[in-house]
Amino acid sequence: MNGAQAMIKCLEEEGISLIFGIPGVAIAPFYEALYHTDKIQHILVRQEQNAGHAASGYARISRKTSVCVTSSGPGATNLITALATAYADSIPIVAITGQVDSSLLGRDVFQEADMRGATESFVKYSYLVRKADDIPRIMKEAFYVASTGRKGPVLIDIPCDVQREEMSVPFRYPEEVNMRSYKPNVKGNAQQLAKVVSAINHSKKPLICAGGGVILGNGEEDVREFCEKNGIPVVSTMMGIGVLPKAHPLYFGMLGNNGKPYANRAVASSDLLIIVGARIADRAVPRPENLEQQLKVIHIDIDSAEIGKNMGPTLPLVGDVKLIFRALIESEIHVDTREWVERLEEYKKSTVDRRRFSEEQVNPMTMVQTLSEKMDDDAIYIADVGQNQLWSADNYVMKHGRFLTTGGMGTMGYSIPAALGAKICEPDKQVVAVCGDGAFQMSMNELATAAVNHVQLKILVVKNGYLGLVREHQQKVYDGHYSAVRLYDYPHYDKIAEAYDMDYVECGSNEELPEALDRFLACEKACLMVCHVASSNVVI
Amino acid sequence: MKGIFSVLVENKDGVLSGISGLFARRGFNIDSLAVGETEKHDVSSMTIVSTGDQRTIDQIEKHLNKKLDVIKVRRLEETRSVLLEMLLIKVRYSLSNRASLIEICNVMGAKIVHLSATNMVIEFHAAPDTVEEFIELVRSFGILEIQRTGVIAMTKG
Repeated sequence: MNGAQAMIKCLEEEGISLIFGIPGVAIAPFYEALYHTDKIQHILVRQEQNAGHAASGYARISRKTSVCVTSSGPGATNLITALATAYADSIPIVAITGQVDSSLLGRDVFQEADMRGATESFVKYSYLVRKADDIPRIMKEAFYVASTGRKGPVLIDIPCDVQREEMSVPFRYPEEVNMRSYKPNVKGNAQQLAKVVSAINHSKKPLICAGGGVILGNGEEDVREFCEKNGIPVVSTMMGIGVLPKAHPLYFGMLGNNGKPYANRAVASSDLLIIVGARIADRAVPRPENLEQQLKVIHIDIDSAEIGKNMGPTLPLVGDVKLIFRALIESEIHVDTREWVERLEEYKKSTVDRRRFSEEQVNPMTMVQTLSEKMDDDAIYIADVGQNQLWSADNYVMKHGRFLTTGGMGTMGYSIPAALGAKICEPDKQVVAVCGDGAFQMSMNELATAAVNHVQLKILVVKNGYLGLVREHQQKVYDGHYSAVRLYDYPHYDKIAEAYDMDYVECGSNEELPEALDRFLACEKACLMVCHVASSNVVI
Repeated sequence: MKGIFSVLVENKDGVLSGISGLFARRGFNIDSLAVGETEKHDVSSMTIVSTGDQRTIDQIEKHLNKKLDVIKVRRLEETRSVLLEMLLIKVRYSLSNRASLIEICNVMGAKIVHLSATNMVIEFHAAPDTVEEFIELVRSFGILEIQRTGVIAMTKG
């Protein structure tokens, strides 16, 4: 068995049945071995970055580590943006990149790129494989590292000659990982836990701020059960959308610059903020130092380095969200929050949205609301980046599905490949990617991948002919000097849809909207919908 | 404040660059960094000295711990540790001041490892503060070159 065959065998041992990638000479032995297995399906994407994003979509929906593969040099460097995106959002991915022969390393030969060096700050861990015999151990470790503790991408860079090299020992996939330098703490310190319980019991106005870590740790149901049992209200970050359905009586929206004013008011008037699986970056809390002086903060996270990075907590608790909330549910907590929740309801009712949207063309807020109301209960909505992301996060009516977006890196073009991965993972679920016309043009090449593989993607383009969020920024900060943001009317979307055998729906007014969305959602084939939105519309 | 970290790491390629990259990327200072093998050939020890406020020093410790090739991080207190740094210093002298330079070396316990007609190379190892003092003592003679190893440290007891 050679190195490449061993890699395929390892993937099979990990239960990987589908991978995304693009071959090249430096990864050719791997693709040769792949040719001889019928257990692993390969999706050929059209640009390597999208192999990473598709793997991200697949991983988030399957809640398992997903795999992408590229060749060396430019194929591998194309992947870096996707790795950085996955790293910022803690998505478990194993990325396999081909490399030039070991004997040529460091000589700047054709298509050589130092991938370990280049991705040092964008991956959780990386390997340069030196001999075929190491492959089973490295693959086992890679999957373990990607999927445990704070999840994230792991890179395996493998020279071509190592893929061809015959193993000198019989193949054996290790059952256990033995890494003395990596022992993720999952079970929350009992003393700290007791302090958390006591802090909650002493609070009058506790509030949970749920981040993406709750979903990554599969802790939605546990957090929900805990807050329902104790009547503790919840706000979320953008990545935490979906921890509670929008209609839940204890849910008070997304916080932050682009969030609900009543969510921010809830944070400001609480006396105990319980942050769970969130990094409290600038978009969520612009001035954390003010907050930490005002109120008690409990910070629960799997990654101890996250605690105190942006905000000094009164009480840190490191561990797995599911285990910690199971323990909290079992704990004696008595806190009467009825008055507090009533107050939050009043905040919510008294908030008047003063934003005005152009009545010409489609109102983007109405669009997101109507679309998400009409979508299936368990549908998957993928928001790209830009104004469309903020309108989506602000107005999405979460039921029991998933809301995916890239909150950390904010990578334009994420939605289409991620939707591809999500839909391939769950072919029977409704998957809708919502993007602007800028982001659409960054990854529209993947429409071919969808067509070839009969993936029934639904893509809604919120079209205003601009890089809208930059335009909005230039309007506010640079006196309306619109510099290099105009996209004009290209491409002709109807022709794009036709070129890729997609159905096409176009909508230019609020009156047409409900019917147009019905047609869009009812399409059997992959469908492209364009909503014309006035460029004067802003987010805030 | 000063943070002294004794860090045990896997002795393999890329680890040093990973650790130094972490400091660069997150804007942490490195005052000194010394690396060498330990009693186990597959484990290296790094002594890293940094300065920053309490939050920064705490963050450094956490981020070091987060690195996968880091086996153990210990934060050392100056009073409870032995700190040692080695200095090689080339100092100019003349016939008239040579005796007083040699006298300083004798008093401080420094060793003259090479002597030429116009300068001497002095070896000195001591706690980092004493190394600083020694440099100040010989400064007026004319320092031609300085090499320092960075601090290495070990807990007492």
